[in-house]
Amino acid sequence: MDTGRGSSLEVPVTSQQPALVSITTNDKNCKGSIMYHNSSQRKYWTFENEETLERLRYQANQKCRAKILSSGKAGLNESLLLDPLEEDVLFRHYEKRLLDFCAVFKPAMPKSVVGTANMYFRRFYTNNSLMEYHPRTIMLTCTYLACKVDEFNVSSSQFVGNLQENPASQEKALQQILEYELLLIQQLNFHLVVHNPYRPMEGILIDLKTRYLSLENPEVLRKTADDFLNRATMTDAGLLFSPSQIALTAVLNSASRASLNMESYLTECMGLKDDKESLSKMIDSMRRIKNHVKKYEPPKPEDVGACKHKLERIHAEFVPNTNLKRKRGYEDDDHVTKHHNIAEEEWTDEDLESL
Amino acid sequence: MDDQGCPRCKTTKYRNPSLKLMVNVCGHTLCESCVEMLFVRGSGNCVQCDTPLRKNNFRVQLFEDPAVDKEVEIRKKVLKMYNKRNADFPSLREYNDYLEQVEEIVYNLTNNVDVENTKQIMEQYQRENRDIIQKNKVKLTREQEELEELLLLEQQGNEQRRLETLQEEQRQLLAKRKNKQALLDELESSQLPATLLLAQHKDRAAQLETQLEKQRQVVKPTIFSTGIPMGQTISLQPVVRMEEVLYQYQPLHIHTYGPPVPALEHLGRLGYLNHVRAASPQDTAGGYSSGLACHRAIQDAFSGLFPMLH
Repeated sequence: MDTGRGSSLEVPVTSQQPALVSITTNDKNCKGSIMYHNSSQRKYWTFENEETLERLRYQANQKCRAKILSSGKAGLNESLLLDPLEEDVLFRHYEKRLLDFCAVFKPAMPKSVVGTANMYFRRFYTNNSLMEYHPRTIMLTCTYLACKVDEFNVSSSQFVGNLQENPASQEKALQQILEYELLLIQQLNFHLVVHNPYRPMEGILIDLKTRYLSLENPEVLRKTADDFLNRATMTDAGLLFSPSQIALTAVLNSASRASLNMESYLTECMGLKDDKESLSKMIDSMRRIKNHVKKYEPPKPEDVGACKHKLERIHAEFVPNTNLKRKRGYEDDDHVTKHHNIAEEEWTDEDLESL
Repeated sequence: MDDQGCPRCKTTKYRNPSLKLMVNVCGHTLCESCVEMLFVRGSGNCVQCDTPLRKNNFRVQLFEDPAVDKEVEIRKKVLKMYNKRNADFPSLREYNDYLEQVEEIVYNLTNNVDVENTKQIMEQYQRENRDIIQKNKVKLTREQEELEELLLLEQQGNEQRRLETLQEEQRQLLAKRKNKQALLDELESSQLPATLLLAQHKDRAAQLETQLEKQRQVVKPTIFSTGIPMGQTISLQPVVRMEEVLYQYQPLHIHTYGPPVPALEHLGRLGYLNHVRAASPQDTAGGYSSGLACHRAIQDAFSGLFPMLH
């Protein structure tokens, strides 16, 4: 698919605006089935609070630790394994890599695809440990799956062509992606539709222009709000709040940066004037979102280096290679099985480094 | 169907549309001309399985699979012997076991499984149950007799009715003639004026007609040959109707956890569409309108905006 015209219709915001929302379904159907308010995202993937997430990740870490320790391999030692904090460092590192990979992807990837891929990555490691599944493979698999789900049509060879490597290791990477794809879908519990905050932001801007006339030019808010959303993807906000709340926070945050007061938008246009409770709750969640974004800091290179070393050792020595088992799901596909004879050497991080 | 052919001379239905395939007890096919040629002397061996066969046992193959023909033949033979009925058994269970046994024998003979043993079983059965077999054979014919009797009865009834109507017509004719004769006699001998006599005659004739009319309502036959009495109304009553509560439409209410979204039709009037790019003619070809995109963006912006309960 080419991104400019053709199968993806773009939301015409104003004439010069970058378009980002692809319309793929009849709007009448959206009302019932694929809107956020009755989506699987709201039902299963919006968590109550930060502690819940933390607990889930801790459990995943503990489970994986126990599993590795019980295998009783020689030279195994608890200190060799990653603790939740180290996992978090690595997670942020690979998340950044995922976003970088998407940013330079050719053909240019729509934002919603990036957001979806990132969300898959987050959801996956909410219930799984990095020690069990190597994030390098999972991040590519997430991106690959997001391309498919969000109707960003690239062929698999085109996809791995974006890895700056020789054809043989591209082939290897592709094989791994296909191996892990089914596992990923299963771990996502088949909830593949992700609601990103980008379209809601467009909606809010349209609404501002239409109903909130005291703001002269809402377009000035776009740049900062976009940045805010980009930073928000690297936080847990997407697992804790609805995309519309994140989008509204982005716009309001952008306004306050420009020292514009938009309080009355909430009370007048959103109809929260008489509902003080909802209003205060909303302001509270917006404050929390803002904190998440503010709190984010990229992992320190030296920490990453140490953790990565541990991770590689764990994957090389302690985690049994379960790939062969997983491959079964694709056995029927000729295009996978006919490449069986390719040497099974692992491709390494350094292959990606050249990005 | 096209590849059906004689295994000996290799003629197929395609090459010779008038080809007639025959099948004998062993279940192997031969075409009619091969049968004529091979069984000139009335008997011979099957080309495929060497079973000794008689020419007059050849039948025209009715089914595509000759094995089916064979099975039909065998079944006919077996059922001649195994002719017990439900009433001959103390319980349904035993009757079913018996039927099962019959099926097994038919299957074995058709597929050449354990043939010797099966034949022994059949012989033994025949010896043990000679009386019942004979009795059931008779019973079978008696049933047929009853039916024939009924048919005969009906035929007789018809004949009788025909005769009756014939006699009736004759009588009427006679009565009319008598009437006419009487009129002539009276005109000859009576003193009364002729006009009066004519009127009287006319009256009598009319009376006679009505009388005949009444008689013509003949008694109808009362029973069909199927045994159902005539005039009986077969119950065509519909099944008892179930009274159920009618479905009532309840408008779908979706909680969007956000402020109300203006309806698609109102977007233009409310001015929303001034802030989105107008759809180009190419876009509209596929049914797209700028309102759709705008509406969806607004919906997404408002959906789940307010804090919700988990």
